[in-house]
Amino acid sequence: MIHSANITKRFGKMQAVSDVSFALEAGGSVALWGSNGAGKTTLIRCLLGVIRHRGRVTMNGIDVRRRGRHARALVGYVPQELAFHDDARLGSAMMFFAKLRGVDRAQAARALDAVGLTGHERKRVRDLSGGMKQRLALAVALLSDPPLIILDEPTSNLDAAGRGEVVLTLQQLREAGKTLLFASHRPDEVISLADRVLVLERGQLERDTTPAELWPTEKPVQVVRLYLSMASETDAADALRSAGHAVHLNGHGLCVAVARDRKAEPIIALARHHIEVRDIEVLDDVRLPEASQ
Amino acid sequence: MARTLGTILTAMLIWTAVETRCEQHSDPKPIAVITEMISNADAGTIIRVPAGVYEGNLVVRKPVVLDGSDGAVLDGLGRGTVIEVLADGVVIRHCTVRNSGLDVTGEPAAIRVIAADVVIESNNISESLFGIDLRESPNAIIRSNKIECIDLEPGRRGDGIRLWWSHGCLVEGNVVHNSRDMVFWYSEDLRIRGNTVMGSRYGLHFMYSHGSVLEQNDLLNNSVGVYLMYSNGITLRENRMSNNRGASGYGIGLKDCDDITITGNALLANRVGVYIDNSPSSVGSKGLFESNLIAFNEIGLLATPNTHDNVFTNNAFIENEEPAATHGRGRLVNNTFAREGVGNYWSDYAGFDLDGNGIGDVVYEPQSLFGAMLANEPNLRLFVHSPAQRAIEFTSRALPELRPQSTLVDPSPLASPPEIRLDMAAKGRQVGSMLMLAVSMLAIAAGVIVYTIVEPRLGAAPRGDRS
Amino acid sequence: MSSAQLQSHPIPIGMPTAPSFVGGIARFARREFRDALASKWFILYTMAFTVLAVGVSFLSLSGVGSHGFAGFGRTAAGLLNLIMLVVPLMALTAGAGSIAGERERGTLLYMLSQPVSRSQVLLGKYFGLAVALICSLCIGFGISAGVLAWRAGGAGVFDFLMLIGLTALLAIAMLSVGFLISVVSRRTSVATGVALFVWLTLVFVSDLGLMASSVIFKLHVQEIFGLASINPLQCFKMAVIVSMNASLDVLGPVGAYASQTLGSALPWVLVSTLIAWTIAPLGVAIFLFTRRGTV
Repeated sequence: MIHSANITKRFGKMQAVSDVSFALEAGGSVALWGSNGAGKTTLIRCLLGVIRHRGRVTMNGIDVRRRGRHARALVGYVPQELAFHDDARLGSAMMFFAKLRGVDRAQAARALDAVGLTGHERKRVRDLSGGMKQRLALAVALLSDPPLIILDEPTSNLDAAGRGEVVLTLQQLREAGKTLLFASHRPDEVISLADRVLVLERGQLERDTTPAELWPTEKPVQVVRLYLSMASETDAADALRSAGHAVHLNGHGLCVAVARDRKAEPIIALARHHIEVRDIEVLDDVRLPEASQ
Repeated sequence: MARTLGTILTAMLIWTAVETRCEQHSDPKPIAVITEMISNADAGTIIRVPAGVYEGNLVVRKPVVLDGSDGAVLDGLGRGTVIEVLADGVVIRHCTVRNSGLDVTGEPAAIRVIAADVVIESNNISESLFGIDLRESPNAIIRSNKIECIDLEPGRRGDGIRLWWSHGCLVEGNVVHNSRDMVFWYSEDLRIRGNTVMGSRYGLHFMYSHGSVLEQNDLLNNSVGVYLMYSNGITLRENRMSNNRGASGYGIGLKDCDDITITGNALLANRVGVYIDNSPSSVGSKGLFESNLIAFNEIGLLATPNTHDNVFTNNAFIENEEPAATHGRGRLVNNTFAREGVGNYWSDYAGFDLDGNGIGDVVYEPQSLFGAMLANEPNLRLFVHSPAQRAIEFTSRALPELRPQSTLVDPSPLASPPEIRLDMAAKGRQVGSMLMLAVSMLAIAAGVIVYTIVEPRLGAAPRGDRS
Repeated sequence: MSSAQLQSHPIPIGMPTAPSFVGGIARFARREFRDALASKWFILYTMAFTVLAVGVSFLSLSGVGSHGFAGFGRTAAGLLNLIMLVVPLMALTAGAGSIAGERERGTLLYMLSQPVSRSQVLLGKYFGLAVALICSLCIGFGISAGVLAWRAGGAGVFDFLMLIGLTALLAIAMLSVGFLISVVSRRTSVATGVALFVWLTLVFVSDLGLMASSVIFKLHVQEIFGLASINPLQCFKMAVIVSMNASLDVLGPVGAYASQTLGSALPWVLVSTLIAWTIAPLGVAIFLFTRRGTV
């Protein structure tokens, strides 16, 4: 489905993506894994052909650089956060993309219905919540029933329930034979959706592996809930993620997955960032695996 | 307006052409048929020329009335003058005369007259070099002829109507199109009334022709409306000169003319409304400009710096790009811009009339920096009608030290424009088409907007049952 | 896209396909036009232009009674000044905000991820804005034509039509320049600043500079004409005057020179210059937009 050879992209002096080559078979599902700034988003933009890059990408044999729009016709793309004209109404935005993709009104309505946005057609894009925007983006991506779906951290703006829905939808799509490529830094998503993981680090493809190899489930893992001051929660989450931990942030505190014998590690990491931990609580075996690297 | 007239004329031409083709089914006859009719007739008889095309050159040597109202067409076949009148008192009316020669040296005309007391009336002249040419033919009447000259380049055209040494003639109600000039040489005591000249070089052109009256003529889209040269004692009354914008482009041009009276004329949208070159030229003579409407011209009044002894009173100078200018350096101060306390209306007058007597309380002194620059650097005229020009004028208003000397002084400017009426039917008013343009412009905008906004609604609601 | 390429990479049957080149442009144009209609600048500019145009038509015809019908020349002259000030400002700023604005809001990326090419997005936006501008002009001119019909009895319908047509051409030429500015500017504020600078240059600086240099360096008429006709605004002005007078004699020796040397080709030369000002910046904008590949 996707063949990429030697993708390289630099912004000024910074090498955002360097020499990434991989192939993705039709029906496959691959996750891009890496910390923020590892080059996941840039790689996705290169694959879509929306930014200029060196190297060659083909989708179904169609060269993305030379025949970009024909290649992109095969792709449904869900960005990290939907950015569409704020003044436009949801219904009219949907019709715009429907016509762009040569899809009729009924199918556009079905796509909206599939993501549960029916009845919101008169709302302006600016008034949509993060979750609704994400679902709109998904609806647009699925409009023309494309064989390949590319998602850039599709659940980053969603709460637990929204995330679950998205993951469920994507699993259905996989079962329907769609090819999936998505960036994520949520191990649970990766495990449940991907059969391959491309680990990116500083723009380079470090490992081409599977979720099972990346997170061997036999290794005992525990989830620790950290109680922090509300203000520092997001900072703490970022700090832990950059230290390679799998983090989950919700209203009840910050959950982090650690090996049984290394429960102090997150606290030390936070201390390095001058973030104080008030209390910790070790939860029962929740299936939130830890990154081994 | 001109275009409508143009369209009408074109339609007429096509009509004539169609008619002509019909006529040509009957074979053309030689002009000798008419010659024979004349020679068989007594002096003074009315000869009704039967319908038909008569080919050749006709010379009339007997005082008869040639009436072509049954549909007579005289065709010169492109050689020489079509009708030559050599006897006094001849009348030629309702004839269609066409196809004179084209060779400028012989000056071939549709109708040439060398005789007194001739009447040329209601003829339709086309495809000729000169239209009606009078030589030493006093007391002629030239009335209601339609003259369409061949549309050659202006230098090679002939004159629509030319009078040469022909005193006391009446030229009335003729319509001339695409000629060189309607020109009067050495002819005195003429009355020129209600003629329309368009698309020509000079609408009315006087050379050494004194003591005439020009009334209610309509001169439009020519290079110059009326050009008087070396001609004295002429009165221009209630004429309209509009859109004369050729290289000279004067509504009225005066060169070395004494005792000219110009009253109640409308000079509209010409390059120059009135151009004065050394008139009056003789000591003791005066020029009078009274109650004229001088509006929308690039320059309202343009005069050579030596111009003097003209009186301007009760004229309306409205929205001319430059109200008054000198041709070259100098001022117009040797002329008078008010008579008995009545000056002129200037639409750019910035003064006020506190006592309400209709006369502005401060003098009118136009001081245009750009105008002054133009006098020194004529090339800069390229930049008129541009925001840069406005910027320059604005600067000079803000900085008094930049203000140039005024070109003229009107001591009693009028506070409101005088009412100036022309007794002339407004031609080609296109209210309808302009309204249609307005409506269609708005309709286009509305249409495009509606077309773009209306798109199929997404979702259910086939009958608007969703609130 | 040549047919050979299409054949060498057949799109599998049943796969979704990209819209046609023109179809994609049309979608974006329509989207852009709708956005323009809803935007403040469009409403503001339309109102300002209409009020000014009507004011000029009205004022220039006062005090001439039944002779107003001959006064269209003067009204046109007033309109000419107004158009040369307002229309380039409208078009340049509208163009400058287009791509840069999308880029700044982050909407450009999402647009480009659709099955359309960069040139389609740019051309679509261009045509949408062009139609919006022309609509705006139609409203302003339409209402002032109504005023002319009412006050002056309306002569010169053809002249007025020519004026409208040439103004539309000027607008799309300036829009092209605005798009070029927009493509090379990273931010909307920069693009707008550059657009204002270009506007000032075209409207005032170049004319005043040319006036000064023609006096100081004693430029020949042909040099002045050549330099002046580079400026699209001067070109527009000359084209309007030619369309109404059939010659440029009213513009003094330089105009007379142009009329004499170019003769009947003059209007075409002027109009082609305006068309060149439309096509060239737009072409460069498309080239840079596709080449640079930034979002």
